Amino acid sequence: MERTLFFSGNQAIAHGAVRAGAAFACGYPGTPSTEILETAARLEGIHAQWCVNEKVALETAVGASLAGRRTIVTMKHVGLNVAADPFMTLSLTGINGGLVIVSADDPGMHSSQNEQDNRAYAKFAKVPMLEPSDSQEAYDFVAEAFALSEEFDTPVLLRSTTRLSHGRGQVIRRVPVVLEPRDYARDISKYVMVPQNARLRNRLVLERLQKLRARAEESPLNILEAGTADVGIIASGVAYTYAREAFPKAWFLKLGMSHPLPYRKVARLFQQVSRVAVVEELDPFIEEQVRALGLPVVGKEAIPADGELDQDIVFRALEPFLSRRPPRRRRPVFPPAPCLADPPQPAAGLPVRPPVLCPGCSHRAVFAAVRRHKLAPMGDIGCYTLGALPPLLALDSCLCMGASIGMMAGFNKALGRKGAAAVIGDSTFFHSGITPLVDAYYNEADGLVIVLDNRTTAMTGHQGHPGTGLRADRSQGPAVDIQKLCEGIGVRCNTVDANDYSVLDAAIKTESDAPGLGVVIALAPCVLMVREKAGEIVVDDERCNLCGLCLDVGCPALARGEDSVAFSDVCTGCGLCIEVCRRGALSYAGACGADSEGEGAR
Amino acid sequence: MNGTTTVSLVGVGGQGILLAAAVLAETASAEGLDVKASEVKGMSQRGGSVLSTVRFGEHVWSPVARHADVVIAIELLEGHRALGLLAHQGTLVCAVTTRIVPGSVLRREDEYPDDLPAAAAARGVKLIAVDAEALAREAGTLRAVNVALLGAASVVLPFAAASWQRGLAAALPSKILEVNERAFALGRDAVSSEEVGP
Repeated sequence: MERTLFFSGNQAIAHGAVRAGAAFACGYPGTPSTEILETAARLEGIHAQWCVNEKVALETAVGASLAGRRTIVTMKHVGLNVAADPFMTLSLTGINGGLVIVSADDPGMHSSQNEQDNRAYAKFAKVPMLEPSDSQEAYDFVAEAFALSEEFDTPVLLRSTTRLSHGRGQVIRRVPVVLEPRDYARDISKYVMVPQNARLRNRLVLERLQKLRARAEESPLNILEAGTADVGIIASGVAYTYAREAFPKAWFLKLGMSHPLPYRKVARLFQQVSRVAVVEELDPFIEEQVRALGLPVVGKEAIPADGELDQDIVFRALEPFLSRRPPRRRRPVFPPAPCLADPPQPAAGLPVRPPVLCPGCSHRAVFAAVRRHKLAPMGDIGCYTLGALPPLLALDSCLCMGASIGMMAGFNKALGRKGAAAVIGDSTFFHSGITPLVDAYYNEADGLVIVLDNRTTAMTGHQGHPGTGLRADRSQGPAVDIQKLCEGIGVRCNTVDANDYSVLDAAIKTESDAPGLGVVIALAPCVLMVREKAGEIVVDDERCNLCGLCLDVGCPALARGEDSVAFSDVCTGCGLCIEVCRRGALSYAGACGADSEGEGAR
Repeated sequence: MNGTTTVSLVGVGGQGILLAAAVLAETASAEGLDVKASEVKGMSQRGGSVLSTVRFGEHVWSPVARHADVVIAIELLEGHRALGLLAHQGTLVCAVTTRIVPGSVLRREDEYPDDLPAAAAARGVKLIAVDAEALAREAGTLRAVNVALLGAASVVLPFAAASWQRGLAAALPSKILEVNERAFALGRDAVSSEEVGP
């Protein structure tokens, strides 16, 4: 028989992750979470890396999950504030390989600047929250968390606290989980959170929450334990152990999965006993929900809402309440499932009018080139997110500001090869693209980062940013040079003219094929700031066979005519269509050569 | 509802819908009415459909409304789409010669809709069809399509000429005020000379 191990909660989480088949772990150190990743880094079968911060860690984890790997990401409670941007939208996209986020809270603030109770994040993001109460549960719950994550297509929060993370207990190893491999499958409607996709995903999240609540009702993680006294206690996490020791004869509802709350299990406890207390550290997270059912409980009026608990505090707090006359029994009122708004319904029979990249927009050339070079492009937020829409379909993901580079790094690292690229705008790069680039360099992630430098924050109406030096009052300040910045980090970087398609395409191809990490800056000022026509483009009717290659770049200036393509007067003459045409059917009016005998623009 | 009138302005990002809505709101204000307006920008700026709503009356509570009494459509397809906003006996003032063709139609995956008069009649909507492009060109700039159409719509809106004058002056930069005043007058005349019911 195998030896019983003696693990801290943090060690147990790391070993539990490996046992559950996790292949990728990352995080940022923070007490009391740090030893989870330190332990994982010493174990076989799992890649573990420190990231530059919690936001980048979560984005890297999402990349690894997309690549099909079970992934665990660790941080302390305040770290989830840093990672909140990807976290909140990750709830909408869901995952591929199971994804577990460990939040190690610090009641009592042994080494923290605040005492926030991160169970609120589970409610906020509508994701499940697991709360182990000892080392064995920490080990076991990780596998449960991964299974829930994959079954319900959701990230799962696993909350530890200082006493669990840094306490020790016996752990019996379990049989390793055998996993079916999960391949990455491109799914723009699931992973690109532009509004029309996110609205539909958000409905799925609300429906998922109801299904998770039904699961919580029957989950073996939520146990109703019979007692002999006429007293019931609802508790989760390490607080359960304090209450169990203080009141050995009480009935218990032990919540291993504290969100969403299993209402009916709570009601069942109230059928057994006349008096119920909720014992939880920090916020009245469970208590408020029980009260909302119309059920009388004792909670934060007796049990401190700050600091750590222990069995003495719990005993002294609840003892007087046990001698009081029991409250009148009441029937619970279960909240009905929320209804959903009517789904958006497009006017029947009318073509939709999605937003599009402007005629002459230089981003279009980058997408035309990216599509040719097989890397899955992780996207970001700006005008260029429109590249994910038909007919371009040139982005695989859009999670939050600055997520592209971390996701690319995690994806490629987990895959062990260069499978993804990152596409990010100049303003977004300054917003939060620098830290993941530092991280990718430090962790030696392979990948191609394309910075779409159009010299402005275009989507929101041409605001300045540090790359242009233009300030809010339109005064000119010093500007940061992106190429020098990249080179300062140590990353290979090339700036090319985004309006010169052959040069751009060659640079992207070279960097796609090259090993390691590289940046291509595709530079061209936003076409709305330039507003001068580069030339008149003409069609050679004889050569154009309406193959549609030029139409596939999605330019509003190009239409499918009767016998050949036709141009409208919104054409800026950028010439991308000339470049993608394989039959030489398009050319600038007046240009030399056989191609120039068209009949003029139509 | 409750004596509040709702006017929705629809079109394509970049057509000056928000500016036209501002003129309308200033005009209603000049009449001494309470006014609320709302619009959705963001993605719409990149050639997407744009909807702006202006509500006016004695006291306006909500800034939005599911149905409009009058819709001003600066583009034909958006005029078709906006029929769904109009209650029976509502009025659609539409720039019927202005077509901004969406990508799916450019690629011939979809068809641009035909016959707005029939579609409007089927819903019991009164259609005021305007060649706003021609009027704007006559006024001096194609960009004044929005204000030309507003001039046409002024025929069915309960505001005095002086209030429109104040609305235009309040919402438009002085540089382009004159050309827009011309466009407005041309739009108003184009409809006044036709048969417009009460």
